[in-house]
Amino acid sequence: MRISRGGLLVVIAVMVPIVIELRTVFVHLGVDMSIAETGLLAAVMIGALLAWAIAPDIRGRKRSNEGSE
Amino acid sequence: MSLGANSGTYLDQFPDEAKLIRATFYSSFAALFVGALMGLLQVLHRVDMLRLIPSEDYYSYLTLHAVLLVLTFTIFFLVGVFTWGVTTSLDRGLEDLRYTWTWYGLMAGGSLLAGITIIGGFFDAIPLSAAVLYTFYAPLQAHPLFYIGLALFIVGSWFAGIDWFRSWWAWKRENPDERIPLPTFMALTTTLFWIISSLGVAISVVVFLIPWSLGFIDQVNALLTRTLFWFFGHAVVYFWLMPAYMLWYVMLPKISGGKLFSDPLARVVFVLFLILSTPTGIHHQYLDPGIAEGFKFIVMVNTMFLLLPSLLTAFTVVASMEHGARQRGGTGYFGWLRALPWRDPVFTGMALAGLMFAAAGFSGMINAGMNINYLVHNTWWVVGHFHLTVGTAVALTFMATTYWFLPQLTGKKIWNKSLGLAQVLLWFIGMTFMSNAMHRAGLAGIPRRTAEPQYSGFDFQPAAGSVAELNMQVVIGGTLLFVSTVLFIAIVVMTIRGSKVDTLPANGYAETLSGPEDAPLVLDNLRLWAGIAIALVVLAYALPLASIISRGGLFGPGGSPSPQFVDTVVFAGQAILDSLAGVVR
Repeated sequence: MRISRGGLLVVIAVMVPIVIELRTVFVHLGVDMSIAETGLLAAVMIGALLAWAIAPDIRGRKRSNEGSE
Repeated sequence: MSLGANSGTYLDQFPDEAKLIRATFYSSFAALFVGALMGLLQVLHRVDMLRLIPSEDYYSYLTLHAVLLVLTFTIFFLVGVFTWGVTTSLDRGLEDLRYTWTWYGLMAGGSLLAGITIIGGFFDAIPLSAAVLYTFYAPLQAHPLFYIGLALFIVGSWFAGIDWFRSWWAWKRENPDERIPLPTFMALTTTLFWIISSLGVAISVVVFLIPWSLGFIDQVNALLTRTLFWFFGHAVVYFWLMPAYMLWYVMLPKISGGKLFSDPLARVVFVLFLILSTPTGIHHQYLDPGIAEGFKFIVMVNTMFLLLPSLLTAFTVVASMEHGARQRGGTGYFGWLRALPWRDPVFTGMALAGLMFAAAGFSGMINAGMNINYLVHNTWWVVGHFHLTVGTAVALTFMATTYWFLPQLTGKKIWNKSLGLAQVLLWFIGMTFMSNAMHRAGLAGIPRRTAEPQYSGFDFQPAAGSVAELNMQVVIGGTLLFVSTVLFIAIVVMTIRGSKVDTLPANGYAETLSGPEDAPLVLDNLRLWAGIAIALVVLAYALPLASIISRGGLFGPGGSPSPQFVDTVVFAGQAILDSLAGVVR
């Protein structure tokens, strides 16, 4: 994994306010999102994050969680 | 090595003080659990999902929730933290433990009296009630025991502050040329503004509300007691926040793996809070008739100045975290963030608490602005705001640092640190759901402090979503917060039940990149700053209070200028003096 499990949990938690606030921002831009659509957006964002976290680092960089803890 | 770390845990260094701090923490956690339960019940009641009591008793829920969380939970915890900070940084125990246990006893006794009185309101058979909310505005009247309990609690907290001063005075005699160690400096400046500000509520309670509730006087001047409450009511916010700030300054850099960026800047911040936190309370009364707009404008300016120390804190704390991250190998403009110890609940809880506090600062500016405040006054917005300040910046910091303090105080390892991480994250997510919905509901005009927020023939129109969605969001948030509280209590209990270990880190706090030697000496002149604080309070409050009293009298319009028993005492005294004069002649 490119990120520690603890780190991943923290990033998912931080995405919650982003998704919630995005919905309000979109309304002010004229885009009304239902709860189901907001949930779908959250699922896509978290899915993308998980895919990134699990995928091998093809650039051969150092593991990001090295040195943390 | 960290500052203050001689050898071993705090328990090894100061076993007697550790016992006292354990008592304050456990009292705090008991209040947290009951207060959080009341929070969940009132959320479910308000949205009409679960109603265990009639709506007429809703204020008892609300009062118990608020008093237990914003007074008992926070203040019991912070007196423990400051005691830790003073003893660790001065490297000496408290002067007289009997005195120390006396203030703890006063606080505990006061809490019990106030709590029992509020709980009495749920039962018809018990002739006690205090459904007066945390602000106890007259003409809402509580049983006298509620006010007496609050008075004892506040006096106990004053004695705690004096205890820290006694330690410092004793240390100063032995170290006359030394700078005040930073944690002690923070505890002392906080104590000073706490004593100055809580004089307002002490006068309100002792001179007016207790005699009124006992029937000695018929009425009080509601605007006067309300203004005296807010004399204290905003400064108390900083009384909760200052220990959280202290932990961000002296603990967060250490946990991040680095040093505090600037000791002098930290001192400037605490001096600014000392002088500015009290002459701001009238901004809670922008909509009160009877206080001239000019006074309110002055207070708004004072309040906006308070943003300065908060912004300084944001800069210093983030700079310290970055220093720590780079010590741990972090690189890049933002890449260093990944090197921080996110798996540690102590760090993550404090960092997320700071992040939420930034959001609270923005909504606080709306509250502080006199004209914009009219839009959100007495709406759910305000509740959303203070759940980000005291409910997250303070509460989450306290819970997160418990995972550091508890091993220091008990000699036992935290039962399950991964669960601790889940607990702080759950709090963060729950509060996001709840406070976001409360802010948005407030913008739609949905009122606070009511069990029945709906009006017949009228629908609130939120800018996004519907009222039902907002209510659902609040219920989800409130439930997650309660689950997080239960997890926290479970971790604390299981840790206490564990066995002692020898592998705990030593007690201590962060070293500094720029130390006290870089700070101007005048920053340590507490008399000067206390004098300026008092002068600002006089400037902000003398004329409004004089105006309120001259128009409404000390005891309210139509009331006697003084209570009957005072008139009687004055008459008797005059008669005795006249008689004595006659005898002398």
